[in-house]
This record gives sequence, C-alpha cells and structure tokens, in this order.
Amino acid sequence: MRRLPLSGIHLVLRRLLQLVGVVVGIATVNFFLLRFAPGDAVQVIASEAGSASLEYVEALRRQFGLDQPLWWQYLNYMSGLARFDLGYSFRHSMPVATLILDRLPATLLLMTTSVLLAVFAGGLLGILAAYRPGKWQDVLISVLALLCFATPLFLIGLALVVGFSVWLDWLPVGGMFDIAVQAQGWARVLDVARHLILPALTLALFYMAVYVRLMRASVMEVRRQDYVRTAISRGNGPVRVLLVHVLRNAALPLVTMLGVQMGSIIGGAVVVETVFSWPGLGRLSFDALVQRELTLLVGVLLCSSILVVLVNWLVDFTYAVLDPRIRSSRS
Amino acid sequence: MGGFRGWKAGALAVLTALFATGVARAEEPKVPKKGGTLTVIAQPEPVILTAALSTSSPTGFFSGNVFDGLIDYDREFGLKPALAESWKLSEDGKQLQLNLRKGVKWHDGQPFNAADVKWTLENVWRKYHPRNQALFANVESVDTPDDHTVIINFSKPSLAVLSSLNSNGAQVLPRHLYEGTDILNNPYNNKPIGTGPFIFKEWSKGNHIVLERNPDYWDQGKPYLDKVIYRVIPDGGARTAAIEKGEVQYAFFSPVPARDAERLSKLPTLKVETKGYEWLSPWLFLDLNVEREPFKDEKVRQALYHAIDRDAYKRIVWFGFGKPAISPVVSTLTEFHDPTVPTYPFDVAKAEQLLDEAGLKRGADGVRFRINLDYLPYGEEFRRSAEFLKQSFKRIGVEAEIRNQDTPTYTRRIYGDRDFDATIQWYAGFADPLVGVTREYNSSGIGKNIPFTNGPGYKNARVDEIITLAQGSGNQEERVKLFKEFQQQVQKDVPSLPLLELEFFTLQASDLNDTVTSVDQIYSSFKNAWYTDPSKR
Amino acid sequence: MTLVVTTREAKERRKLRLSPRLRQMLRSPSALIGWGLLLVVLVMAAGADLFYPEDPLAMVAEPFLRPGADPAFLLGTDMMGRDIAAGIVHGARASLLIALMATLVALVLGIALGLAGGFHGGAIDAATVRLTEFFQTVPPFLFTLTIIAVIQPNLWTIALAIGLTSWPGLARLVRAETLRLRHGEMVQASIALGAGDWRIITRDILPNAMAPILVSTSLMVATAILTESALAFMGLGDPNVASWGNMVGSGREVLRTDWYIAALPGAAILLTVLALNLLGDGLADALDPRSRQ
Repeated sequence: MRRLPLSGIHLVLRRLLQLVGVVVGIATVNFFLLRFAPGDAVQVIASEAGSASLEYVEALRRQFGLDQPLWWQYLNYMSGLARFDLGYSFRHSMPVATLILDRLPATLLLMTTSVLLAVFAGGLLGILAAYRPGKWQDVLISVLALLCFATPLFLIGLALVVGFSVWLDWLPVGGMFDIAVQAQGWARVLDVARHLILPALTLALFYMAVYVRLMRASVMEVRRQDYVRTAISRGNGPVRVLLVHVLRNAALPLVTMLGVQMGSIIGGAVVVETVFSWPGLGRLSFDALVQRELTLLVGVLLCSSILVVLVNWLVDFTYAVLDPRIRSSRS
Repeated sequence: MGGFRGWKAGALAVLTALFATGVARAEEPKVPKKGGTLTVIAQPEPVILTAALSTSSPTGFFSGNVFDGLIDYDREFGLKPALAESWKLSEDGKQLQLNLRKGVKWHDGQPFNAADVKWTLENVWRKYHPRNQALFANVESVDTPDDHTVIINFSKPSLAVLSSLNSNGAQVLPRHLYEGTDILNNPYNNKPIGTGPFIFKEWSKGNHIVLERNPDYWDQGKPYLDKVIYRVIPDGGARTAAIEKGEVQYAFFSPVPARDAERLSKLPTLKVETKGYEWLSPWLFLDLNVEREPFKDEKVRQALYHAIDRDAYKRIVWFGFGKPAISPVVSTLTEFHDPTVPTYPFDVAKAEQLLDEAGLKRGADGVRFRINLDYLPYGEEFRRSAEFLKQSFKRIGVEAEIRNQDTPTYTRRIYGDRDFDATIQWYAGFADPLVGVTREYNSSGIGKNIPFTNGPGYKNARVDEIITLAQGSGNQEERVKLFKEFQQQVQKDVPSLPLLELEFFTLQASDLNDTVTSVDQIYSSFKNAWYTDPSKR
Repeated sequence: MTLVVTTREAKERRKLRLSPRLRQMLRSPSALIGWGLLLVVLVMAAGADLFYPEDPLAMVAEPFLRPGADPAFLLGTDMMGRDIAAGIVHGARASLLIALMATLVALVLGIALGLAGGFHGGAIDAATVRLTEFFQTVPPFLFTLTIIAVIQPNLWTIALAIGLTSWPGLARLVRAETLRLRHGEMVQASIALGAGDWRIITRDILPNAMAPILVSTSLMVATAILTESALAFMGLGDPNVASWGNMVGSGREVLRTDWYIAALPGAAILLTVLALNLLGDGLADALDPRSRQ
C-alpha cells in the first residue's frame, strides 16, 4: 500500500524537486567522471586531422574553453544548466540542445515503437501461454521467448538485415528514410515506417521475451485468485473475465517492469542504432564519448535520465489507474 | 539496378543486363552522359565541411566537390590547371606566381579573385591549417598586382609548396564571408560556399549531406551528375549490405571489410578500385619507444623487425591489400623512394640471435621481456595487426600485452604522456616527404602532446639537419639526395618499423565511369564521373 | 546458552524447509536441462588447458577453414587462422570469469546497500533509496561504456564496469526482503533474545532472503555475458583474451562470407544464457510455494 496522496500541488512539487536532484546529480557526477577520461576533444580533432601543430591545438583548446580551470568549467556549465542551456558543441559548431533535439524524435520513435510492440506482442503471447499451460502453444512460446532473451541484440539485428534486406530485399538496410527520393506527406510516413521495422523489431524482441514470461506468470497467478474464480462461476464469458478481471491485475507487473527497464532500453538503442545507422540519441552519445565531446555527452545523459524519470511518472500514473486498491484509497 | 530478390538470382539478371550494355559500350564512343544521382558513403561522418580548417579525411572526401584546388593532379603526380591557369616558380625557388582563372564565381554569385587567395593564405592556412602552417612558414609577403595574379614571396626556397596546392592542401575560402569573423566558428564552415562543381544543399547530422550540380561551373559541361548524396552508415555490416543492394554506388577508403570486398567484387554490378589514393602515400608502422628500455638498444629493435613476417601479415590481416614496406617513403613515390635501404627480412633465428647478443636471454618461462602493445583504434585491421604482432613476438620470447583504448586515450598516451612501449600507427606521407614523412622522425615534435608527430621519441642530429636542409633547399636534385640519405639513416636506426604500404580500396557501381582521374582522387571531386545509363539512376 | 540452542534450532528448521525445495528444483525438467548445459560450460572452463593446452590466440592453421574441413580443427579456423574450438573452450573461462566477477561486484554492492537501507531504515534508507534510484535513471549500458572509456578495457575493468552498473535492481530486491523479514517473527524473536544487528543480519535475514537473491543472481550472470558481448561489438573488449564476446565481435566483420566464425561463439553465448535462465526459472518455481502443489 502506498502512502495516501498528498494534495496534487504537493505531489507535483515533490516530483519536480526529485527531477532537479537527478539533473544536478547526473550533471555533477558525469562532469567529473568524464574529466578523468584521458585525452580531450581537441586531441581527437587534431588526431583526426592527421597532423597538427602546437599553435593549432592551443588555439582550439582556448576556443573550447578547455584551458580554464576545472571548477570554473563546472560552474560555467551548471550556471548554464540553470538557464536551461546545455552548452555548445564546438566540434559540431552547434548548441548541444539543438543537436539533441535533432536526434530526439528518431530515438523516441524507435523506442516507442519497440516498447509498444514488446508490450502488446509480449502481453498477448504471455496470455496465450498462460491459458494453455504445458500445451504445445505454451512450450513453443516459452522456448521462443527464451531464445530471444538469450541471443545478443546485435546478432539478432545483423541476422535480420541479412535475411530481410539482402536476401529477400523487402526492407532497406538502414537509415531512417530514403534520401534520394525525398518523399513528402504520406509517402514519407510510409518510407520512415519501412525503415523503422527492422530496428524496432530487433530492440523489441529482447523485451518482448521479458514480457512474455512476466505476463504468463502473472496471468496464471491472477487466474488462481478467488475473485476471478467467482467471476467465472457467475457465468461471465472467458473474454469478459480476461478483459475485466484478469488483464487489469496481470498488467501491473508488466507496467512496473517497463519503468525499471526504461534505462536499459535506451542502452539497447545504442547497439541497435549502430547496426541500423538509425540517427538517434544512442549513437550520438557513443560518438560523443569516443570524441570526448563531454558537454554533449552530459547533455545526452541528462536527457535520457529525464526521459527515464518521466516514463516512471507515467508508469506510476498508469499503475494508479490500473490498481483498484490504489484507486479505492483515493476515492 | 532495381530490386532483385536474392543476390544470386539478382546477379544473374544483372549479368545478362550488363552483358548487353557491355557490348553496347564497346560500340559507342565514350561520351559522358549527363544526369543521375550518385549516393556515396560518408564514413565516419565529417566534423566540419571545410578542408581549409581540418585535414581529416572525412572532410577531405567531401570538400573537394564544393571547393576547387588552385592546381589539380593528373594520374602521374603531374600538375594540371584548376583555379590557377598557370604558375611559375622562380629559379631560386623563392617566388611563386599564380595566374588565376578569370570569370570564376563563388556559389553565392560573388566573383572569385586574388584577394580571396591572399586572405586565405594569410589568415587560414598560416593560422589553422595543420600542414600548411609549416609549409607556408617561410612566406614573407603575398602580392596581388591585379585581381587575377598572386605572387608569393618566400624567405627560403620552398619547393614542397607545389606538392600541396590541390583543394585539400590549399583550399581557398570566400573572403567576403569570412573576413572579420571568428573563422573557426563561421557558420559557412558547415554550409560551405565554394567555386567547385557541386553546390552544397543540406547537411542533416547523422544522416546525409546533399550536393547539387553547379550549373555555372567554369569547367564547361561539367559536372555530369545532377546530385551527389553522402550517407552516414556507421556499421560495417550495414555498409556492405547497402553497397550490395545498390543503395549506394560509391564508397571509398576501404569502407567494408576486405573479405567482403573480395566477395562483392565478383558481383557484376560492382567493382573494386585501388587507384586514386596515391597522393596520400600512406604507410603503416610499429613505433618503438626509444626513450625506454629495452628499445634504447637498436639490436632489440632490429630483432623485432626480423620477427615479423610481413608477407603473411599483409595476407592475413589486410587480406592481400597493400605491399610490405621497407622504408617510410613508399615505393610509389618513385622520385624519393630509396630501394637500397638496409632491410630486415623475416628470420626468427636472426631475431633470437640479436636478442641474445643484446643480453636479453630467455627466462625459465621462455620469456625474454614483456612489453605493452598499443594500436590506433581505427578499425578491425588495426586490432588484428596487434594480435598478429603479439603472436609474432611470442615466437622470439617477447610477451606483448595488447591495450585496447579509444582514440583520445591513445593519442594522449603516445604523444602526451609517452607511457607506452610499442604502438601500431599509420601516417599519410603525401607527395613530398617533407609534408608527411619527416614529422615521424623530427626531434622537435617529441612529447608535446601533438598527435601524429615523432612517436618513437627518436633524436638524431643528422636527421634533424637533413630535414632543415631539405626544407630550405631550392634544388630538387639535392633534396632527393638528402631524402635518400634520410631513409638510409632511419632504416639503419629503425626507431619505427615500416610494415606495410597501405592500399585502400573503393567500391563502386560498375556503370559509373571516370571516377579516378587523379592521384589525389579521393580528395578531389566527382566532376568527371558519369553513369553509363543515367536514366536508371 | 539459550541463544545458541535457538539459532541451532532455527538452522534445523531452515534446512528442513530448504531441502525439499532443492530436490524439487533438481527435478524440474527445465532446470535439469539448465544444469546439464551449465555443466558442459563449466567443464569447458575448468578443463580448457587440458583440452587445448596451446594458446587459443595462436595462429595455428590457414585462415577460414570451414568447420569439418580439417579433422584437426573441428570447428574450423577464424580469419587469423586461430582454432575456433580452442577459442570457444577457453572463451568459456574468460566469459564466465568476467560475468561472475561482475555479478560478485553487483552482489556485494546490492546486498550491502539493500540491507543497510532495509534494516536501518530512516535516513540511511532514504539515502540508499535515492542512490539506487539515481543509478537506475542513468541508462546502465551507457554508464558502463563511459566507465570503460575512463579506465580502459581489460578483463578486470570490464567486469568492474558491468558490476558497478547492474546492482540497483538487486538492492531494491534485498531491501524489500529485508523489510519483510525485519518485521517478521524470527527477527523479532532474535531481538527479544538480545541478538546483535550483525548476528540478525547474518543468521536470520540473509539466509532467508537467499532464495530470491539466487534467482536474480543467475539472471545477472546471464545479463553480464550478454553485456560483455555488446561491449566487444562496440569495440571495447580485451584483445588479450579469447572471450566469446570478442570472438563474435571480430567475427561479425566476415559474417556475410564466413558466418560460422561469429555464429559458433554466438551459439555458445546463447546456450549459456539459456542454461542460466532455465536454472533461474527452476529455482523460482521450486521456491514458489504454490507451484509445489
């Protein structure tokens, strides 16, 4: 049982305070952690140039502000953050916020599609398995789920590319849209959708496996509960029992899991975006890491952490809607 | 090329189609056709689109299409007119006169003239261009007697300048957009305005860069292609698939694993091209830290050289691409390369003998000594190189511990902290050894935390002297003699073991013609390229 | 005196309660398969030097020998002419070592923080919960990548980085269990008998929380193996050891021409992760009182 909700404003304030804490914490920890990493952005640029002189390196360092003392850089960064300014990426000659906003839609699209796919397909298969425990459907679904769970993400991705893009030639190998065609309107939506299928499927399969197992266990559990048995004995049809009584309760662990796994999904996106050259945040953060674009990296980490926090709010909200006990305690 | 199902079936279909066009091509004269869109892989994605401010290769691959060079190359290192119609170097090598082409316009319509060249030389090349700072170090003054004449006066003879006036080495920026601005932060760095065959349209970071044909290009009739698109594809497997499917028609700088290239080259729709990289004169080497034991002893360095089977190395690690190296000045630079330098053929017994002589006997566990082995993290070949060398050294009782690290960690370790024993690295030597080779041996660059300088920490007074002499000499014959002496010396001392003259490859659609017309093609442009049947592209 | 007798009795009780569960666990078919698979992997790891005394990274034959092409190299050779069978056997050792060490780090952190918060409550609890939540908001894989970039990849740092980022889930679990047991009969009895905190934690709480910890440990080992392979895929492996992740990572380059080089170690990963999951399932089933009916 949860504590009785405070007044709405209090709740929102507490949440916001928590978010501010997360933001300050993450910015601080990563800012200093990353400064321990050997080498800086200027060295990367200089070594990519293939040659450099001392004057060139020093000019760049001055320009990037890397010649300033660490505490000064930190204060600068934090005061910028207080003004919702994520800093400037000298490497890309763009504000960090612009770079992130550029990539955010791609990542959100990929993640939302994957999560929805994983939740719905996983949930459905889990229910199916739970209604036929021990039968061939259950065994087949469980084995498939185990296999998806146990195969490294990038192997699934590469296998899908070879199978569906190269051999069958049904889908494009990567990217987010066909640049040569420059489709507009619905054609563009369709184009993006075609590019989305494989990466979303790759990312979804792993989590789908998790949800299948979770859903199966929890549906089986709920079906044993008295109120479900009562509902059945009262002559309610199986579909109605499933929708009204079983699903609502069985979905709770699924929703909780989703909140817990949000961070790991973003991590998985790094790998998937690499395999499918999907222009999202995951890839941006990996590039920022190896290029020592620390301002950009801290920005992306902040952004993904905020995303995780927001999703968890949403999860709490969904939980409250789904869980009859919490609802009753409110009313 | 159309969507074919299954590459085998597709290969057959295309084979038939190509057979037909092949016959047709033999009958028709080779007249370039206009039209078509070329999709190219940009990997890694450039950081900046202006090569005057960055000599990184991704920028170079792109930039030559938007900007012209002052001078172009042909396929034999010979010079061809570009923005400069003619040029003249004075007898003493101290004065260079460039006569600029008339009527050339920047993509925004402004006229291109001598003031642009003078301004860029003084404010960009000498301040920000990593290579040109040294190359144009001796410039005393730049005169522009009229709008189309530039006279550069040097305090010392500067022959090497002529080897670097292409669009990568001497990119002229539009003065009217840059003067008085913060050059490194000028917005036009990433939406470049040039004079070149293609006009910049759009850069969507992480996705693509789009170029369109310049209808007012000074080279009449060119370019032939309507559009050039650079696509960013970070994963090697995805690159292979995109090329194989025909989504991409051109990919350079060994874009896919060599093993895949071998397979793809057998498809009738594709061909592998290794030409167009000559200007880079790249070589791969193992740097030994001569500031540390045991590499202070030249016998130990020579022993390691003898322990490496460079033919096997080339075959196994690079899948046959490249050529075993004997000198840092590669053999394609026929004028400078010295084939008579001391060599160190694969000979395990000799290597062991040298180590015994150096007093490094095998211990009870069979190990003579242990070293760390670093490698430039530029891809699988470099990691495999480290694995290959580790096994080679193990045979002579030298245990190497490979260290995997990202690029910033690597450059910091080698050129800053100098906390390493041996490292695998490659440099571009360029057309004149002074531009790219001598930095590896010049003692002035040691330990200053500048990437890609003297890795071994090698100090030799005579070598430093030769470099200074060659820099100031106005006599090409004398310079050649100096560089040969230089090679003899460094290959006797072997602070750095040249292992392989790298050979990069390009994968391209086989219906794309005239893609390689110069030795610096990859830093040049697609202005000569055309499709056999543009209507299909 | 009485105290000793009581704990001894408690121990007896526990033994009685655990052993049928263990027997049950061993009997479930999926757990049996899991045990079998894991045994094979363990034998490979333990006997690697016996089966293949040579350095698994040594280039012993022509590159790209297909599996079965040469009886001396059952599973063929990779692009460097290294024996794939030797790599897989030795890789079992490296991969398990990385995964077990990572899990150990996570176990220590997760149990310590979960216990501290759950047992003491108050400010300590609030602090550990905040810390756990904080770590859960940073995407773990990104965090692992960052740590490895700071300290550079080798066998130990990879294990450490994976461990450092995978404890929060366990900490929450341990905290919940501790909270439950803390107010349970057994602990209250021990407190009444004057037992110290340490004694209560080690005698009453930990042994009783062990079951769910074990289940989640088997999953953590599995996840660590997968994470190691993903790191190798991103180019952050230790090239001095033959680990499955490294083998898949380097084999992916020739996936199109010589798929077996990546697929064989990939299959090894798959089977091991599968085994650990089956074990975890069996364990969970056996510990679930309802499923025994």
